[in-house]
Amino acid sequence: MSSIVIIEDNEQNARMAAKLLRRADYEVVIAEDGETGLTTVFEERPDLVLIDLGLPDIDGQTVIALIRQQPELEHIPIIAFTAWPEATAHDMARAYGCDGVITKPIDTRQFADQVAGFIASARAE
Amino acid sequence: MDSHKTVTTSTGGSERFAVPASRYDFKQLADIYNQARVDYIVPMPMNARRMEEYVHTYDIDLDASVVALNSERDPCGVGMVGVRGDRTWITRLGVIPERRGYRLGQYLMEQMIESSLHINARRIQLEVIVGNEPAYRLFQKLGFVETRILLIVRRPPGQMPAHPLYDAATVTEIAPADIPAYLEQREPGASWVEETQSLLNARQLCGLHLELPSGERSWIVFQRTPFQLTHFVLGPASMEATGALLHHVHRAYPNQDTKIENVPEQDRHWPAFQEMGYMEVFRRIEMVLELR
Repeated sequence: MSSIVIIEDNEQNARMAAKLLRRADYEVVIAEDGETGLTTVFEERPDLVLIDLGLPDIDGQTVIALIRQQPELEHIPIIAFTAWPEATAHDMARAYGCDGVITKPIDTRQFADQVAGFIASARAE
Repeated sequence: MDSHKTVTTSTGGSERFAVPASRYDFKQLADIYNQARVDYIVPMPMNARRMEEYVHTYDIDLDASVVALNSERDPCGVGMVGVRGDRTWITRLGVIPERRGYRLGQYLMEQMIESSLHINARRIQLEVIVGNEPAYRLFQKLGFVETRILLIVRRPPGQMPAHPLYDAATVTEIAPADIPAYLEQREPGASWVEETQSLLNARQLCGLHLELPSGERSWIVFQRTPFQLTHFVLGPASMEATGALLHHVHRAYPNQDTKIENVPEQDRHWPAFQEMGYMEVFRRIEMVLELR
C-alpha cells in the first residue's frame, strides 16, 4: 500500500482529499501546518507529499525547499496542491522542485488517478 | 476607536456590530482571518504565533482594528489597522464567505476609516492583490487612489555560481548595532511592510557592506529567520553593486528560501534581482486615502 502525506491547513480540503485517497487504498496522514508536515514527512517517508502552498506557519514553498534539501527525502515526489492561478502555481512548483501541480478545487473523479500517475512517474525514473 | 465601544447598524434587515479586535486573542483573530480569506486568490493563512508577530512587526493597533459580528454575535469578518504617527495602514481585511452579502466589507472599511479619523490620521494606505476586483472597486468607491504596483517576489534556495567580478568585491558584515544607522541612509518610498520601523520591529537583521574593485561601495540589510531571508533593503547602488550584494547574500545562505514583499514595479534594482533567480509570484496595488 502506498503512503501519502497531505500538508494542508484547510480541514475540509484535507479531509476530502484523504477520503478519496483512502478509498483508492492509499494510507494517508494529514499535517495541518508546515512544521508538522516536515516532521511527518521525516517520520513517515511517504511515497508522495501533497502540499498546499499557503500554510499558516511556514510558506509551502519553504517547506518544499526544506524537504528537497534532505538527501534521504529528495526522491519523494512532491505535488503542489493549490488554488493559485494555474500559471503561477506551475512556475512556483517548477522553481521549487515539485513534481507536479493539482489545482483546487479537486476533481473528485480524477484525483486518485492523478496521484497514482505522479507516483508511477516517480517510480519509473 | 474606543476599545469598549460597540457600533451597531442595520442594513437590509440584518443587524451587525463592530467590536475592537482587542477583544479577541491571537488564536481567535487568526481563525476569523483564515476563514475570511479561505477563497482568496492568495489566502496566506496564519496561526496564532504568526498573527502575534504580524501585529508586533507592523504596529497593528488592535483597539483601532475591527471584528464585525452578526445579530447572533458570530464573527463575520475582520480588518486591521496599523498606526505610525499620523498615518494608518489597513490590512488583513476579509469577510467569511458564508456571511457575506450585507456590505460587510464596506462596513469594516468605514469603521477603520473612522478609527483613523479618531486618531487624527492624515493618510490611510493599503494594498490590494491584483485581480481582487470587488475589493479594488470598494476602495475606489471610498476615495482611495492608486499609487503604484508592488511585486511579491521569491527565490528558491540554491548555490550561487562563481562570478569573477562579484567575487572580487570586498565584503564585510555590518555589526548589528550599526544596522539602524545604515537604515537611516536608505532611499525613501518603502511600502508599510518594508519601512524601517517594520524591520526594526522584526529584528533578526543582518547586513553586508561591499566595495567593488571600481571603488563603488554599497550595503544591504535583510532579515534572516530560521527558514527564510526577507525584508531586503539596499543602499544606493549601481546595478553592478546590487548584483554583487545579492550574490554575496545568497552565497552566504544558499539553503535559505527568500521572499520579498512589495518591491515597486519600477524599482531600478529589480532587473538585478531577476538576474539572481528571483521570480514574481503576484502583484499588489498600493492605494492611498488622504484625510486632510
